[in-house]
Amino acid sequence: MEALRVDNVVKSFGGLMAVKGVSFSVERNQILGLLGPNGSGKSTIMKTIVGIVKPDGGSITVQGVNVAADPIGVKRIVGFVPESPRLYEFLSGIEYLDFVATVHGLSPDTKRERITEFLKALDLEGRENELIHGYSQGMKQKLAIIAGLLHRPQILILDEPLNALDPRSARIVKDLIHRLRDDGVPTVFSTHVLEIADAICDRIVIMYDGRVLAEGSAGELRSKAGTTGSSLEEVFLKLTGTSDTREIVEALTR
Amino acid sequence: MNLRAVYSLAVVLTRSQIRGTQRSKFLARVFGEPRIILPVDIALLFGLGGLGYVLLSTSGQGLLDLLRPIEPELLAGIPSAIMFMAILFGVLYEISQPIQSMNTDLVNWLPLTPMEYVGGSTISESYIYSFVLCLFLGVVLGPALALGMAGVWIAAAFMAVVALFAGASVVEILDATTNRISSSFYKKSGRSGIVFRLIATVVLLVFIQLLFSGYIVGYLLQSVMQAAVSAWFIPVVWPTLAVLGAAQANPVSFILFSSVSVVFAVALFGLAARFRARFWVPVPVSIKLSTRAYQPGQFHLPLIGAAESAMIQKDFRSLIRRREMARFLAIPFVLAISMGISLVPLGTQQTAEAPSFVFIAILFLLPVAIFVGALSMTSIGQEGYAVWNLYAAPIKPSQLLRAKVLFAAILGIPFTVALLSIFALLLNTVGTYYGILLPVGVLVVLEASALGVYFAARFPDFREMVRSRYVSVWGSLLGIGTALGVSLLTVTPVALSISLYGAIIPQLAIVSFGIGLGVFIVALKLANHQIQSLFQNIQT
Repeated sequence: MEALRVDNVVKSFGGLMAVKGVSFSVERNQILGLLGPNGSGKSTIMKTIVGIVKPDGGSITVQGVNVAADPIGVKRIVGFVPESPRLYEFLSGIEYLDFVATVHGLSPDTKRERITEFLKALDLEGRENELIHGYSQGMKQKLAIIAGLLHRPQILILDEPLNALDPRSARIVKDLIHRLRDDGVPTVFSTHVLEIADAICDRIVIMYDGRVLAEGSAGELRSKAGTTGSSLEEVFLKLTGTSDTREIVEALTR
Repeated sequence: MNLRAVYSLAVVLTRSQIRGTQRSKFLARVFGEPRIILPVDIALLFGLGGLGYVLLSTSGQGLLDLLRPIEPELLAGIPSAIMFMAILFGVLYEISQPIQSMNTDLVNWLPLTPMEYVGGSTISESYIYSFVLCLFLGVVLGPALALGMAGVWIAAAFMAVVALFAGASVVEILDATTNRISSSFYKKSGRSGIVFRLIATVVLLVFIQLLFSGYIVGYLLQSVMQAAVSAWFIPVVWPTLAVLGAAQANPVSFILFSSVSVVFAVALFGLAARFRARFWVPVPVSIKLSTRAYQPGQFHLPLIGAAESAMIQKDFRSLIRRREMARFLAIPFVLAISMGISLVPLGTQQTAEAPSFVFIAILFLLPVAIFVGALSMTSIGQEGYAVWNLYAAPIKPSQLLRAKVLFAAILGIPFTVALLSIFALLLNTVGTYYGILLPVGVLVVLEASALGVYFAARFPDFREMVRSRYVSVWGSLLGIGTALGVSLLTVTPVALSISLYGAIIPQLAIVSFGIGLGVFIVALKLANHQIQSLFQNIQT
């Protein structure tokens, strides 16, 4: 069953066309990896799914809810973690999570239960009363992930969620994404770490210059690129036409 | 000390400071390079000096005779004034930095010694504020030339440069010590430390604001000159005493005090480098607000939803905990004290000469409109880059509107009552004035809150930089202008009633209330529409 449909979405910022007619869909029991070089339009398409950026054309439906028609309804069911999230640094970790949970309408008991549980799971227990300003980048990332999961979303949109996470926390987040997928909560996940995409994504969409360049499972992409048996990195470099890196490396070491 | 590194750092720090305060691309292009300061300095120095000289040469002997006894005092006062200004501006710059830009990570992992860092920073600070030096020296150059005191002027200029350098070194010392003290203090004191910092910052801002009032500046300058001679043992007055020595043609005094002034400035520089090496804490300190176990938020205001209450609570925390927001909390104190100072002479007059209702109404309503308008106009932009948290949350525009309007009103209404109480205490006038001004004041608070949110959503500025203003210049001008306009419009029927009939006519009072409520409702609708539009055309 389809959880997300992105249909011919177009978005430009001033003169720059960031997304040029992107379409893909995500099934309920699926983890979709969005891959692409910097500036390929991954973050923009993720923000349009959440309703943070309004597309110039096309449509997006999340769990049957049209984003343009009911943006608040979509925000209630989506869990979103942006790339390098900026949090309210004058709040403590616990105050920030309490704020997010309240805005999502969680009851005090539910808030207490979930926040305590997540803080413990992601090793933030004992630091929750400190101002976010003093947190490391990894701690801020964990906080943003918890905030995205607190309201038990029906779909997760995670823009490079494993950035700055320590190995244990990264493993927990990966296992959590798998577990949620098994429970019918799909994830759209962007990353630059191709091994991660290879390991956890059921399907991969490769974006380049605001377009979908290729789509399929890791195996299907290898066949499309004609590099069966090679790493996803080679497939990615071949498909995006950036495979010839030797000259650059030589220039850098000269 | 690597002088090339010191120079490079000075250039980078100057660029950072002058570019950090410029909003428009045009200004950044024209004034974005440190070299722009030099022609400005030259223009101020020789432009003002030349103008003064020409004016005095063409004027009669009378003006010169008038200036002759004052000029040496003015010249001697400049070094102290420059040192004071350098310290003041330096401290103000530190206060206005947002929490995100406080880390100086770069200099911590570059191969720079503390001495090189302080050298670069001191030169940068001295250069940036050199326009103040040139302004002061330019003003006194013309009279000095016309009065044949060029030599004293040169002595004053030299001592002013030394004083500027000393002032910049003091800022470095303050920077390093407050960094360490506040880091240790916050670590230990947590929440109370933040409150203490807020109070200290507000007091400092109020003090600085009042210091710029003409009366107090004049009094201070006079006191400095009177005190300088008797306080010869205090190092900060040595540059002034050196100039006085030159003015009195006393070479021993000039050489002695100018030498010790230079030694004092160099000693301050050395101390700043030592303090930097010893006290600087390069990483943000962890501040623990509480040790209690988590209890879900109980803050819930009546008549509004939990989400609105949570947003209001967040904005209060923002106002109290962000040091760059302290200036907004300082506004009511500055306004109330300024009003109080200007009312004292009026209050001593006889009842027959007591100020009119129109005068009191304007004097009372304008600060209310300014404070509440400024607070609500910045309410959206102050979210900064963290505004995505609101965009991504299931919050309706009407909920955000309610939260922002109520936040401004909650602070505005007590200020209105307090200001009116000050008026009642200081002015010897009719009690009924206050009976009508209170509801009108509350209406103005509501109007300014709603209008402010409209302008906040229409012209937001989310950039986090030094002296962030959170709303565009155009938006703030329009917003304050509109808030002032509607406040006057609201009080006009009541003012007419008192002016024409000598009493409050109920029908005209009702018209005033009607205007106030009408403007409030229209402003709410406009603001709601504007927030909807903001949510659809998000700037991220």
